[in-house]
Order: sequence, then C-alpha cells, then structure tokens
Amino acid sequence: MSFALLAPLGLAALAALALPILIHLIRRMELRTTEFAALRWISDRVRPRRRIRVERPWLLLLRLALLALLAVLLASPVMTEVALPTQPWALVVPGVDRAAAQAAVTTSGVQWHWLAPGFPTLDNAPSSTAVPVASLLRQLDADLPAAAALTVVVPDQLAGLDGERMQLTHAIDWRVVDGRMPDSAAAPATPIRFSVRYAPAAEPELAYLRAAVAAWNVREPGRYVLDMEAVSAPIADDARWLAWLAPDLSTQASAWIDRGGVALVVNHAASDAEALWRDASGRVLARQQVVGRGRLIGLPGALDPATLPILLDADFPERLQAALQGAPTPPTRAHAGDVRPLHAAATSKASPARSRDSARPLDLWLALLIALLFLVERSVATRTRAQAAA
Amino acid sequence: MNPRVGSPDLIPPDVRARLRGLHLFARGNAGGDGLGQHASRSRGAGLEFAQYRAYEPGDEPRRIDWKLYARSDRYFVREAERDSPLTAWLIIDATASMRQADIARPDVSKLDAAKAIAACAIELALRQGDRFGLIALGGSTQLLVPAGAGPRQRDRCLLELARINAAGSWPGIASQRPLRERIARDALVVFLSDFFDDAAVELAELLALARREVLTVQILAGDERDFPFSGGQRFLDPESGIERRVDANAVRQDFLERFGAARANLARDFTARGIRHVEHVLGEPSDAPLQRFFGQRSARA
Repeated sequence: MSFALLAPLGLAALAALALPILIHLIRRMELRTTEFAALRWISDRVRPRRRIRVERPWLLLLRLALLALLAVLLASPVMTEVALPTQPWALVVPGVDRAAAQAAVTTSGVQWHWLAPGFPTLDNAPSSTAVPVASLLRQLDADLPAAAALTVVVPDQLAGLDGERMQLTHAIDWRVVDGRMPDSAAAPATPIRFSVRYAPAAEPELAYLRAAVAAWNVREPGRYVLDMEAVSAPIADDARWLAWLAPDLSTQASAWIDRGGVALVVNHAASDAEALWRDASGRVLARQQVVGRGRLIGLPGALDPATLPILLDADFPERLQAALQGAPTPPTRAHAGDVRPLHAAATSKASPARSRDSARPLDLWLALLIALLFLVERSVATRTRAQAAA
Repeated sequence: MNPRVGSPDLIPPDVRARLRGLHLFARGNAGGDGLGQHASRSRGAGLEFAQYRAYEPGDEPRRIDWKLYARSDRYFVREAERDSPLTAWLIIDATASMRQADIARPDVSKLDAAKAIAACAIELALRQGDRFGLIALGGSTQLLVPAGAGPRQRDRCLLELARINAAGSWPGIASQRPLRERIARDALVVFLSDFFDDAAVELAELLALARREVLTVQILAGDERDFPFSGGQRFLDPESGIERRVDANAVRQDFLERFGAARANLARDFTARGIRHVEHVLGEPSDAPLQRFFGQRSARA
C-alpha cells in the first residue's frame, strides 16, 4: 500500500497557503477600537517587537491544514497496491513437446502455462493448437504487472501471427525449439461469380470486362464466372462481385452491396471516399468506400479509355482483381527467430499495467476530513471572536 | 401613586434595605447656626424637638438627654429640626472618561455607578431631613440643583440625574468659582469621579482647604483595575481622542504599576488634605462607599 497522487500538479494550490499567513499577520484590519479612559497610564515606551507576532496561531495552523488538505484533494490521492513480485511465467506454444520445453527453460520456480486462450497450466491440454500467438502475447503483456519475467517457448515455424511486429513492455526470454505449428486448413479455391448488369448504352464497355475475366481465368482456370445481364435482371445471391454499368444503382443492388458484396459502379461521384486508383498526374480515377458490410468502387465517368486511361494498360486485369478482392490478409507464418518481440518502453505514465493496480481513491475520506476541519475552524474562529468581543 | 423617576433602577431593594442603617453626618461640628458656643438647656425659640436618637460614639456628650437617661438607663441624643442643618452637596463628574464600562457589562458605566451612589446619598439626606443639592460638571454639562430639602427636592435631583450624559472634559478653573461659592462652609461634599482629570483633584483639594467636608469616591472600571485585555488592541481615549495600538500582554505589567501608583498617590494626597477617600469599582453595591464613610466603624471623628 503506497500513497500516490494521480495529478501532482494540483499541489500547486499549496501556493494559497500564503493567504492565511498574510491575513493573520496583518492585524490592523482586525483590530476594533476599544474605549479606554486610563490610556494615559499606558507607557509609550514599548520595547520594539522585532519578532513577527501572529494573531491566534492555533487558528492559523487550522486554516493552513485545511488549505493543504484541499490542495491534496485537488491532486487526486490514491492508495495503490504495490504489486507483489510475481513468479516468473513460462509459456509454451501448443504443439511444442512438453519435455523439450521444460528442458529448454532452466530457471527455477517458474509457472508453466500453455500459450492458449485462458492460459491453462501444463497439466491441462490446450483447447486447440491453432492459437493466435501474437494476440495472446499482447494480452499477457497488458495483464501482467511490470515486474513479472516472461519466458516463451516457441517452435521454429510460428503461425498465428498478425501483420504487426510484436512490441511488448516486458522483456521476454524467447526460446526457440524445433517444431512447427500445424498448418491451418487451406481455403479451397471457390468459384467467384462476377455479375455484370449493364444498360443498353454501355454495351461497348462489356468488352473490357470480358477481357479482364478471361485474363483471370488464364491464371486460375475456371474460377471466375461471368454473368452478363441487363439492368433489370436480378442479382443472384451467390454473386461475389458486381459491375453496375447503368446510371442509377437499383435498390436491389444497394441492398446486395449492404449485405456484403463488392461492386464497381460507373458514373458514381463520391468526393469524400478513399482514392483507389490515380493516374500519373495524381488525378483520382476511382474511389472506394465501405457501404454497410460491402464495398463500393465508384468511377466518376464511364468505363472507357477516355475517362479511365488505365483501362488499356496491360496490368488492368490484375488491378481490377486486386480492387475487387480487397486488401490481402497478412501472412501469419514466419520463422520464430525472425519475429522475436521487441522491447518497447512504457510510453505513457498511465500504462495499462499501472492503472490495473488496484488504486483505491482516497477522495471520499479526504473530503470528509476537510469538512470536519472546516467545522472545527469555523467554531474556533467564532468562539475567539466572541471572546474578543466579550 | 407617582412613580419615582429613575429611583427603582438606581437603588435596588437590597441596597435600600442596607441604607436604613446608615446615617449621614459631618465629622466636625454637627451643624451650623443653630448651635452656639454655649450649652444651655433652653436652646431658643427656633429649636424644635424632632426625635430622640440612640447615642453613637462620636456624638457630643452635651447633647445627651440626661432626663431620658435617668428614666431608661440608656443614652439618647436629642435631635431638633434645626439641630443638624446639614447641607449635603453631591458633585458628579460627567466627563467622557466616566463613559467607561466593563467589557463584560457594557450597560453599566462609571457614570451610572456615580448616579446610583448619589441617589443613595440623597435618600439618606431626605430621611434625615437634611438639605441636599446636586452639581454635575463635564464638557457641556454644568448642572446645579440648589440645595433644598424634602421629597420634591429629591425628585428634582433624580430627574436631573437621569438627564446627565458623559461627554467632554473637565471645565476650567474659572468656571468652577461660582460653584465653589455656592457650597457653604461646613457643608458635606460627596465628590463622585474617577479623578483622571487633575482639575477635578484640584477642585476637591480647594474645597477641603476652604473648610468644606469633602468625601471623595474614586470610581473605577474593573477593566482599569485589572487590565484583562490580551493580544493586539487599539485603544481610544474618549476625552483626548488619542488612539493607540498596543500589544496588551506587553503593556499590562507596566500599566498596572503606573496606574496603581497613580491611585495610591491620589489617596495619599487626599488623606493629607483631610479628605476622606474611598475607591469604588464597578460591580460593587452602590451603598458600599457610603457604608465605608458613614457605617458604624467609621463614625469616629
């Protein structure tokens, strides 16, 4: 249990302590004239008072204490519990051999846990072997007190990572043993239905789309299915992508996009959407925005080379495919030695670890004490005033 | 029934009860023209028998009625109406210093105490059939009630007493001369003042020198006698208007010494002149000075 101030700048209010001292020193203002007929027998020669006399020193001390407590109240005092030094933790990624892991870590007195959701002890089996390693490590970094030491035993081929390099505030002992995490089941290549709904005036634009789809099917044969219909035709439920070559977006199309479809829409002006394609001079050629659960790629003009110069580029099919597919998922597998977590200094004072220490605020007790002192000060002040008047 | 002006307030019942045992007298000759140098039985046509009074030590033995003694075996003194034409004058100090009152009881000032003592003396004189007059001096107050006797005189005096307010300082010597001439020889003068002014002291001494019997009562406030103040104080002298800021704790000892010495000097000077002098502090009963002057023990000449 240690006393701490959350806002130490509040102690600047201690400057107000000068005020009662001044008031108690300036006695001229407090003196009231008393008639005294025998004044001539009070001698003129009073020894000069060198030392500073303070009126009613106890009252002055009381007022100073009151102001000091107010200043401390402004500074938000809390009683923090000093974190007891915890036992060092040792975490093992599921998939690593237990014996090998325990042989790798030679420090004594460690708590052994699986690096799995819930951090079960080694006696229990982890729930699954496909664990989000990076996410769990970050969670542990936030939960454990700063003094805890961590040792992590990882296989050589590590999965469950995300795109960002791990930066933890704890210094982690990174032990690499042989092994690999099981592969996640590869997603089968499903056929993607690309629906195109066009107005009669946009028939020439179909050629470009047909060419793009043909180029895709060269790489992945038979995967991309083109479905060209007039505007009025309904959009099939299993269509993944849509190209709308008509002036206005129908309500069915809008609902389809909301449900999670990706659509390329011509003659669509959205000035605040994110720019997707730019030409050489920086002019925005297409904008992309998230609509509901889907995405909408808007071209300001029609799908023709005059407004979209990149239409004639050799890599247009790849660009279109990338735009329709969306951002690629980051890789999740790496060699363990390459993704060793970096040590990041605690950047903010109110770090999560610190605020999680139970800090019991003292505001209520302090406020009660201040109220009590105020009552005492008032009673003492009026009592001495009555005595002085009596 | 006519309510007496101010008298119920000035003389509380217990004081009135104690006054019954008191008797005004002058230390010297008992009276004025009525008695001559020669003792004779028939005192003259003007003398009227008023009462017999028990003999008190200090009375002249020739005034004892021996016929009554023969009959009762106790000493009695004849008193005639003109036997003791005593004239009692009350001089009251009405200067601003008499406004002083105790902090604990701010409604009773030194002037109020002087008025109460004067009312007691008037009651005594009235009961004895003596003449009495009232003088008040101070600031703009120059009051004179000519000497007379009887209840009407008493009411007149009490009315004027109630009107006196304390202000200003003691008038100069020149304006006091007519007053001194009003007070006849061998009159009894009761001087009620705090004697902070030297001119008041001079007046008392002049009167004593001129063979008036002067009794002085120095009236003080309890705060002046004890100086109970502490801490920083700002004092105002009501007569001179001087204001001084003092540290009460530092000046207390010195003040008590100097003020005590001044009071002792005053008592000594008065006694040297033959003036009977007592001190009266606020809070004491109003008949205390009169008891000390005229009580049984002090009847000795």
